[in-house]
Amino acid sequence: MKKIITMPKLSANMESGLLVALCKQAGDEIKKGDVLFEVETEKVVSEIESDENGRLVTLYYKEGDNVKVDEIIAEIEIV
Amino acid sequence: MGRKLPEWLKVNYNKEAVDEVSHMMADLKLNTVCKEANCPNLGECYKKKTATFMILGSVCTRNCRFCNVSNGHATKVDPEEPMNLAQAVKKLNLTHVVITSVTRDDLPDGGAAHFAKTIEAVRNINPETTIEVLIPDLRGVHENLDIVINANPNVINHNVETVKYLYADVRPQADYERSLKVLQYIKEKAPHITSKTGIMVGLGETDEQVYEVMDDCLKVNCDIFTIGQYLRPSEQHIELKEYVTPEKFEEYKKVALEKGFKYVASGPLVRSSYKAGEATSIFK
Repeated sequence: MKKIITMPKLSANMESGLLVALCKQAGDEIKKGDVLFEVETEKVVSEIESDENGRLVTLYYKEGDNVKVDEIIAEIEIV
Repeated sequence: MGRKLPEWLKVNYNKEAVDEVSHMMADLKLNTVCKEANCPNLGECYKKKTATFMILGSVCTRNCRFCNVSNGHATKVDPEEPMNLAQAVKKLNLTHVVITSVTRDDLPDGGAAHFAKTIEAVRNINPETTIEVLIPDLRGVHENLDIVINANPNVINHNVETVKYLYADVRPQADYERSLKVLQYIKEKAPHITSKTGIMVGLGETDEQVYEVMDDCLKVNCDIFTIGQYLRPSEQHIELKEYVTPEKFEEYKKVALEKGFKYVASGPLVRSSYKAGEATSIFK
């Protein structure tokens, strides 16, 4: 089963976040709790954790991209 | 576009954990300062199933220039809030709870009686939980402060927020001396209650001004002092002048302890309620 990972709304007034680091690449195994990517907003850089075990199938953005809230960043194949 | 924040301002975020706590708060019609103030530690605290509750609504009657909480006409006080909050404390199995509020200059007692009712409700169904309240200045009125003191929380925190010289810019509707007098009155009236205060740095204050705040707070026998980095919620808020380094925070901590505080939390992401239970446990 596939699951999409979107840009989370990290605060009430957040409209987009800067993707400052991609910690997993397409094809990488992922465990629940692994950091998938880092997002910089006004106050801090947030390490976004995976809620699933699986494999990262597709990445739709690259480091340095500004991504709107709810836009799809990655797709994971859940195991 | 590249990074603009220093590498030490990094936090963890787990959506599942955040959603779980957020839904519970919404179901019980409760506000948290974590969400309303856009706290950088929300992800970490919610993951640990802890939060700082914000009572008396989500609209503040003051407009401090550092704060993300909405200001304007305050909402009606919810009489169910004390019991709902007490139930949330039970559901989260909190050993220590921090309760704060918006400032309610529109209420005759500033919301003091609602604080007292909330403390009582929490204690009734969570007798083992230590209770910390982070109060506004209640206009410095002794009768208002007495209501909170008589409810006998374990800790009363009132933040001075910044150095004296920046009050006009940062807290235009507050008064440095009044905040010190609030801390003084709490300790004089109830020496057994732990008193606590804190400041933000990065607003352009000097080391000497920071040390002066420490001295002023010690003169009124304050027990706990917290120091954290001011983080600008938006471009509409007061400008951030400097990212203070972790090493400087360590230096502030060392000086504060040498000066005589019983407990000091100092770090870029320290907030007055961050890991508050750890500080309180040493006073048990």
